[in-house]
Amino acid sequence: MNEAARSLLAGAESLPSAPEFVASVRRAGREAFEREGLPTTRQEDWRFTSLAPLAAHSFGRGDPAEQVTPAELERVAGKSFGPRLVFVNGRFDAGLSTAHGLPAGVHASSLHHAIAVSPALVERSLARTVAVGGRPFAALNGAFLGDGAFVHVDAAARGGPVELVFATVARDRPAACHPRVLVVADAGGEATLVETYVAIGEHPALTNAVTEVSLGDGARLDHYQVQDQPASAFHHATLAVLQGKGTRLSSHSTALGGALSRSDVLARLAGEGAETHLAGLYMADGGRLVDNHSVIEHAGPGGTSRELFKGILDGESRGVFAGRIRVLEGAVKTDAHQSNSNLLLSRDAIVDSMPQLEIYTDEVKAGHGGTVGELDADALFYLRSRGIPAAAARGLLIYAFAREMVDRVAVPALRDRLGRLVAGRLPGGVAILEGA
Amino acid sequence: MSQQPNDGTPLLEVRALQARIDDKAILKGLDLTVMPGEVHAIMGPNGSGKSTFAGVLAGRDRAEVTGGSATLDGKDLLAMAPEERAVAGLFLGFQYPVEIPGVGNMYFLRTALNAQRRARGEEELDAVDFLGLAKEKMKLVEMDPAFMNRGVNEGFSGGEKKRNEVLQMAVLEPRLSILDEIDSGLDIDALRVVARGVEALRSPDRATLLVTHYQRLLEYIVPDKIHVMAGGRIVRTGGRELALELEKKGYAWVEP
Repeated sequence: MNEAARSLLAGAESLPSAPEFVASVRRAGREAFEREGLPTTRQEDWRFTSLAPLAAHSFGRGDPAEQVTPAELERVAGKSFGPRLVFVNGRFDAGLSTAHGLPAGVHASSLHHAIAVSPALVERSLARTVAVGGRPFAALNGAFLGDGAFVHVDAAARGGPVELVFATVARDRPAACHPRVLVVADAGGEATLVETYVAIGEHPALTNAVTEVSLGDGARLDHYQVQDQPASAFHHATLAVLQGKGTRLSSHSTALGGALSRSDVLARLAGEGAETHLAGLYMADGGRLVDNHSVIEHAGPGGTSRELFKGILDGESRGVFAGRIRVLEGAVKTDAHQSNSNLLLSRDAIVDSMPQLEIYTDEVKAGHGGTVGELDADALFYLRSRGIPAAAARGLLIYAFAREMVDRVAVPALRDRLGRLVAGRLPGGVAILEGA
Repeated sequence: MSQQPNDGTPLLEVRALQARIDDKAILKGLDLTVMPGEVHAIMGPNGSGKSTFAGVLAGRDRAEVTGGSATLDGKDLLAMAPEERAVAGLFLGFQYPVEIPGVGNMYFLRTALNAQRRARGEEELDAVDFLGLAKEKMKLVEMDPAFMNRGVNEGFSGGEKKRNEVLQMAVLEPRLSILDEIDSGLDIDALRVVARGVEALRSPDRATLLVTHYQRLLEYIVPDKIHVMAGGRIVRTGGRELALELEKKGYAWVEP
């Protein structure tokens, strides 16, 4: 383990005591991370994503006692549009949260609380969807397991969105936070969950989140992740999903900020007729890097998966997309498709897009597609020839590319927020939205 | 747009204009003068440089200008960005209007109008005032208002795209409209609509330049002057009789 890895693990051994099933997750995580350390570009999954900028900082564990004012939170996370649970450096902050209006059948609390009151329920699902070997960030998250969110969706649950906000606070020094989200949906339950990741403070913040989702037969989850952090931040998100028979997962991620932002999605369609829809929008400029890795594993027959990722890359930024679809033996009548399109706004922006299909059975429909291109010069001239200044015309065309991803958001208030966040980064700004 | 005194300044004056695409010379010393109030037609065979000429005037960078000058109201057009030319009063009706999914037609047109008004120091139109204006002009070009809620030209038929060009012209009220093959692929009804749009803009301080291969359009819009273009130059100028002569003899006799 090098110095950077050692500093990341500092404090993992002095966490408050916890039940044995939590302590064993911590131990396994710590041991795996001690063994493997931070990945290097010699590893296939990290070929294009160098962690050198992250390793240049010495991240201490973010202080869970850190305080954030409501105004400060609203500035970075916007107004709440329903029940909202807020976590500051991983610690549940009841004062900033509004549990009012939770849909019937959806039980959301801090993970710490859930471990205390329903340990059996948590134990049944915790650390069941993601293996820590070969996934050092998930291992690191496990090593610090303590707080985060627990969402239990019971069979009768229907209705509105629940938002989880994770603020990593780095006011005085570089700070790391490893939030864990555990979602358990009973057979037939339906819920909508929004995870919002922000950072506060002048120093670099590292957020290393793990979200585990178990969907019982017939359950449905509409899931969103919004990463809107400063350009100095580091972000790693692991989403691991286990899907039962006839389940439907829709997960939509938006990565806007961060010096380095990486998302790993692992979806296992174990039951028959499961459906997975992954959508991702990412934007980067300057020297920033944004990476989306996904593995969709069709294990049961008759499953469907759809992936659509779109990137907008400016300056000297770099986009990485690696989408692996595995169709295992027995997963007959699988229907899988993935697409990754990238808009390069500068000659120095780079994208590495790697679709991978591994098929071990017959009777499968699987494909991939996508584009890498610049703004359409004819469209740009058309807009300018009508009197629209070049910068505003570019803004309109960039938003037109991104718009489909914003329009997919089924929660109106979140769709509005995302539209503003995306358009706000473009020349012409939020005025573009009047036409959308 | 402020009224310009008709002091004898041409609205458009092109002198010895030369342009090339890659290493191929397309415009080889083109001269043209259009006075306020006039409608001109430029006719010519395919490859004569008509569309390149229209594009060069509007600021399309596909061709590189290598010599000569072009002024609008005495101002150097070639020194301006495309959007500045639009603000100065130039409009290009495209031969192939571009489809832009994701940008609403109505919003696009209002953004364009307000960008021009802002650049001229005029008050912008709010959404309600603009809607009134757009509805009136849509009636003029017989356009179904449903098209305004689509993306720019998205899924429009050839005829609908051309109507949309004329609608934009009618809303933006340019000093000089250059309509590049606006008649190609249009049926009689659509031709009539285009003609009506051009006629509605006819005024002592505006002008229109029709670029066309066929004289059919000129049965609906009677130009003051007809120019025949060949080999990157204007080779003949005349009146209506020139169009009829072209109709009878084809373009072979004007080839350089």
